Amino acid sequence: MDKIIVSDSIVKSFGVGRERRNVLDGVSVDIGAGEFVAIMGPSGSGKTTLLFALSGMDSVDSGSVVFDGEDLSRLGDDALADVRRKKMGFVFQQPTLLKNLNVLDNVILPSVRDGTLSALQINEKARALMKMAGIEELETRGVGQASGGQLQRVGICRALMGDPKVIFGDEPTGALNSTSAGEIMDLLADVHRTGTTVVLVTHDVRVATKAERVLFIFDGKIAGAHEAGRYDAACDDVDARQQALATWLAEMGF
Amino acid sequence: MGMLYRLIRNDVLRSTAVTLTTMLFVAAAALLVALAATLVVNLAGAIDTMMTRAKTPHFMQMHAGHLDRERLAAFADGNDAVADFQVLEFLNLDGSQFVFAGGSLAASVQDNGLSVQSERFDFLLDLDGNVIAPSDGHIYVPITYMQDGTARVGDTVRVAGTPLTIAGPLRDSQMQPLLSSSKRFLVSRDDFADIEPFGSMEYLIEFRLHDLAALGAFQAAYVAAGLEANGPTLTYPLFRLINGLSDGLMIAVILLISVLVIAIAFLCIRFTLQAKIEDDYREIGVMKSIGMRVGDIKRIYLAKYAFVAAVGCALGYALSFSLQEPLLANIRLYMGESDSASWAPFLGLLGVATVFLAITAFVYLALGRFHRIPAAEAIRFGVSQEAPSGGRRVRLSTNQRLGANAFLGLKDVLVRRKLFATMLIVLVLTAFIIIMPRSLHHTISSKSFITYMGVGETDLRFDVQQTDRIADRTAEIAAALEGDDAVSAFVVLTTKAFEARSSDGSEVRIVVELGDHSVFPLTYASGRAPTGDHDIALSALSAGDLGTGVGDVLQVMVGGQARDLTVSGIYSDVTNGGKTAKATFTDDGAATMWSVVGVELTDASLASAKAAQYGARFDFAKVSAMDDFVAQTYGPTLRAVGTASYAAVGISLVISALITLLFMRMLIAKDRYAIAVLKSLGFTASDIKTQYLVRSVFVLALGVVLGTLLANTLGESLAGAVIGAFGASSFAFVVDPLEAYLIAPALMALSVLLATVFGTLDAGTIRVSESIRE
Ligand SMILES: Nc1ncnc2c1ncn2[C@@H]1O[C@H](COP(=O)(O)OP(=O)(O)OP(=O)(O)O)[C@@H](O)[C@H]1O
Ligand SMILES: [Mg+2]
Repeated sequence: MDKIIVSDSIVKSFGVGRERRNVLDGVSVDIGAGEFVAIMGPSGSGKTTLLFALSGMDSVDSGSVVFDGEDLSRLGDDALADVRRKKMGFVFQQPTLLKNLNVLDNVILPSVRDGTLSALQINEKARALMKMAGIEELETRGVGQASGGQLQRVGICRALMGDPKVIFGDEPTGALNSTSAGEIMDLLADVHRTGTTVVLVTHDVRVATKAERVLFIFDGKIAGAHEAGRYDAACDDVDARQQALATWLAEMGF
Repeated sequence: MGMLYRLIRNDVLRSTAVTLTTMLFVAAAALLVALAATLVVNLAGAIDTMMTRAKTPHFMQMHAGHLDRERLAAFADGNDAVADFQVLEFLNLDGSQFVFAGGSLAASVQDNGLSVQSERFDFLLDLDGNVIAPSDGHIYVPITYMQDGTARVGDTVRVAGTPLTIAGPLRDSQMQPLLSSSKRFLVSRDDFADIEPFGSMEYLIEFRLHDLAALGAFQAAYVAAGLEANGPTLTYPLFRLINGLSDGLMIAVILLISVLVIAIAFLCIRFTLQAKIEDDYREIGVMKSIGMRVGDIKRIYLAKYAFVAAVGCALGYALSFSLQEPLLANIRLYMGESDSASWAPFLGLLGVATVFLAITAFVYLALGRFHRIPAAEAIRFGVSQEAPSGGRRVRLSTNQRLGANAFLGLKDVLVRRKLFATMLIVLVLTAFIIIMPRSLHHTISSKSFITYMGVGETDLRFDVQQTDRIADRTAEIAAALEGDDAVSAFVVLTTKAFEARSSDGSEVRIVVELGDHSVFPLTYASGRAPTGDHDIALSALSAGDLGTGVGDVLQVMVGGQARDLTVSGIYSDVTNGGKTAKATFTDDGAATMWSVVGVELTDASLASAKAAQYGARFDFAKVSAMDDFVAQTYGPTLRAVGTASYAAVGISLVISALITLLFMRMLIAKDRYAIAVLKSLGFTASDIKTQYLVRSVFVLALGVVLGTLLANTLGESLAGAVIGAFGASSFAFVVDPLEAYLIAPALMALSVLLATVFGTLDAGTIRVSESIRE
């Protein structure tokens, strides 16, 4: 399998003087193209920091991250922005939408900036994505007039507008009830099925059950990896899969 | 108390730049208000003190020609209102008769002449305010000539050949301002008698009244008695007005600027408060939900701004003491010390206190919004939910051609209208302060401006007065001009006095300038120039006296018969005491008081040379080039307005840059989250800077357009009011399109856009990883 992200001994530290400590302490993670990887670990262990490092959203102190063949630490700010716009999509724990814009405008914003598609293509694509996400009727609503789950779906549509190679999710379902969370996860599973790589930070075992591989991070280090194989709703036994993961996590001390 | 102190200190520390800027504007406002107050007290006081010491006449009639002293004395005796009466002599000398070390006064447009010290009133004073008693061989010179370097103490001046030593400057309570066209030099009685044969005598018939309120009635009685009146009539209020005019203008400008600075200080406060309330929206909601009283919260903010205002006001007041000296210097020199000067600091303090109270009241009112924050909503949404109705229709999906950056910038301005309104108002005000004074300066320095002041636009002007054969001599001049190829047009205007009947039926004497008034027309406040034998145009002051308006009929005795003249127009005039009239009819029976010949040359640049040439040929006439006349009479005022206008441009540019910078810093601080979101979506640092530039350009364009419109409408009326102080009642801006519509906007754009670029340099360097977690 081709690697889309190759990282080697990432070190990232915060704080100054005696307070300074390594939040990421020599992490090496490779992610295959089209893979679905879940990252789990206790609160404060460095999951979000790792996600930011892998996506070039934040610089690293040492080590390297190669994304789709490009060494991110060698790219300038503008080149990083281009990579982010053309090859990545982000979904955060809280919906990060601009409250000045209505729902549709939020979705199309990065594509309009990118300028590769025509206005007509952009609008059509956005409407198709929103239909898929089940939020087509929200189009002209303001951001303040939609529920949390709906907004999270808006965020996913926005992340998908540029046909990204990788979607990063930082607990996108963390703030939602289980029904909403399930729907969001189904949406991400659909995206994965079309060939998009998904890297997802989560606390939720049920969510991680659908991942091909689960990484456990503890105190800034990868403490272990659980290979579950590609999930197929038709033939896999979800409960068994979840049981196996839970057992492994318990071993890891989760 | 301790907690309040800590809250204020923390808040001030957190927003140092904004707090300091606000304090700065408050200080500037307090400084200007204190200065204006101090100057008003000193100016008014100094004028009164000077006019009291000099015992300025309440009524003065200048007269050339035969004088019947007995008849005048009898009139004074018989009139109960008269407290004192005298006739002073003023020996009119041609400017070339005064030869100073550096040259003569030949080019002076003033009527220069000699006087002796009066014995009863209308004294000429030294710089200490004492009545001067000149000794033989000494001469005292009007301050103006000492100021412009013409005369120096100790030098010798030859007056009509007689050498006199300059003993010092003199203060003249009535003829001192440049606007007054005569200048008195003071010599001893013996020297006066020696020089008398070289000049022509003019008489100043002067009265002091028991009660100044009786002036109007006295004036009417003087006219009714048919006494000597071959010359302008001047009164105490007019003396006071022209004495205060140039400094008054300066004070008016300071007041205007201080109003604008106060407005900007208010805007700064409104703006910071608004931003603060938005920032603290959630906290305020929480405080309310746990039962804290809104009054408590308000008190904290009020205390902060009261503190900022107090420090600013104290600073401004203190500064006003060091800055007032140079501004008072002029008043001190020309008018002397004011007896009421000790009041000035108190009035200044009162002005500053008013500023302080206005600011606290303003903050109190602005804080009213706190009451309207619903606790539940504030906690739930964290941000103000006031409907962003603005620009709801403006959608990216239908405006993709704009580009994402331009769209985001514009949309933000539309949505956060209230916030951007503040910046807009500042830019409108600064555009206004840049354009208005420049247009004013351009207007009053344009050649045609004198037509607002009762003077036709000519190249050359001959004044023939104080000779017994005015008509013959004017004809002599006319004949010479007829044969001069360099003259393209000329007109003879003869001034005569007539009896008229005012609207209340009383007999009045009016001074009418007869001739063709269409050749060098004045600008009429209303109506038009007189054309037929039954037309008459009146100066604004005359029309007021007579109680007539355009279209009214005025009965005038012409050639011994009553004739009904229709008022064709009303114009402004500052010449000859301001009470004049113009008509085209002829009356050979009436005596000529003086005449004026206006000349237009084929080549205007020859004016000075021609003036010298004709001046030498017709030594009975005063010949002046119009440009010299304007330069000498209004030059200092023009220069002052010019300097003030450039200062206004500089100050405005600095203010607009400062406010823009502040505004951008504040926006970026507020927008951290949105910027982080955009960056996470792949917007570059320059995308984000572009968006801020779009906001600025949008607000700037709107501000410049509105400011220019405002300057050309409100500014024009405002300038009209200032010009009105000169006696001109109608006024239209002569706008320099290049300057007003190109250079001014370009300068503003430069300062605002540079400030935006500078203020948003680091806008794109926000770290997504930190900001998006918040
Ligand atoms: N900008 C920062 N400055 C200082 N410390 C930071 C900063 N960002 C993160 N940290 C610290 O680094 C550690 C890891 O943070 P990170 O957000 O990656 O944790 P996490 O695994 O995502 O936790 P959670 O599950 O609660 O989201 C935490 O201890 C956090 O306090
Ligand atoms: Mg996290």
